[in-house]
Amino acid sequence: MSVLARVFEAAGLATVCIAMVREHVEKVKPPRALFVPYPFGFALGKPNDADLQHRIIAAAFQLLEKPEGPILADFPEDEIPDVLPQSSGVTRNGAQSTADAADEIAGLRAFYERWVEEHDGRTAVGLSGVSQRRWRGLVRFLEAYARGEEVDMKERPADVALPQFIRYCVDDLKAFYYEARMAQKPSTSEPDLHVWFWGETVIGQLIPAVGESMQASEDPAAKAVAFGLAR
Amino acid sequence: MPKLERLSAVVRQVLTSFPCLEADDTPWTPPTRELKHSNLALVTSAGLHLRDDKPFAADVKGGDTSYRVIPSDAKATDILQSHTSIGFDHTAIYRDLNVTFPLDRMRELTARGVVGGLAPNAYSFMGALRDMRRIVEETGPEVAQRLKDEGAEVVFLTPT
Repeated sequence: MSVLARVFEAAGLATVCIAMVREHVEKVKPPRALFVPYPFGFALGKPNDADLQHRIIAAAFQLLEKPEGPILADFPEDEIPDVLPQSSGVTRNGAQSTADAADEIAGLRAFYERWVEEHDGRTAVGLSGVSQRRWRGLVRFLEAYARGEEVDMKERPADVALPQFIRYCVDDLKAFYYEARMAQKPSTSEPDLHVWFWGETVIGQLIPAVGESMQASEDPAAKAVAFGLAR
Repeated sequence: MPKLERLSAVVRQVLTSFPCLEADDTPWTPPTRELKHSNLALVTSAGLHLRDDKPFAADVKGGDTSYRVIPSDAKATDILQSHTSIGFDHTAIYRDLNVTFPLDRMRELTARGVVGGLAPNAYSFMGALRDMRRIVEETGPEVAQRLKDEGAEVVFLTPT
């Protein structure tokens, strides 16, 4: 981000950027950067807090009035603690589940639909291009992949390699589950959402298994993709 | 981010060893006009794109250095994020796209007269790139030219 700011500024555009990692911005030296003390994913502070977002933006825009730079200013606000539970850090609730992930999805569908309705049709689901009517088949595909079988789906575009396609599928499943859960239990904190997903859902058990199967591949690109599924 | 010493060992290690470009000097273009008379463009490294556009890829060595065009009148419903990293919490963006791509806030500021106007297009890149060369030499300058051709004077850059 701060490298792009330099490129744009050199081309004759005035830039100001939001910076997440102070140590990186100090090295890259973009012209005008506002450092914010929030975790990745929270660049403008908090979701649905327009006042805070406006205060951050106003602080960034003030830097445009400075006569010279580089300027690295701090947004003076309390930190949001950086807590992001990952699969390996979450204890599974009980034994390995033998329940069917496809049934689990069916059980969450009403909550997912409520989420979409409450957000004027907005959903983060959609990267894989696999219609939700085909998700029972998607689950079978991922289960077979996790068992090491050679499988594919007809929805995979020819120019998207299988591991990358799987990552889009997994991202769609994650978005569906989190959105459904946020509709089901709106008061859930962010860490609790992750603990629920990795610790209590059947899909949160299947995704690390898919990742392990991909990790076993000889292909370095597949390994890179696997790292982003679960860890 | 919170200060490095307050992060988990894994995150701290990733950030400390991240291959940043280092610079001694900084390019500088003063704004030609006050913000209230200027055209502003949003550029993000959140890996956003229109729903029917091609997602960014995670299987490219060094990172995906391409970019996507997002019209400034796009609806949040039409925008997806293919920055599928598990290194950040996606739930904030599920809840509110403005937390990484403040299009609604920019529209409000334009309506209030704080910002002169919005350029017709925003641009999106992928974040966490380990090899920035193509950004510096090719796709970055290409987007800079497009922004200038479209009348943008000020660029607000947001990460994810």
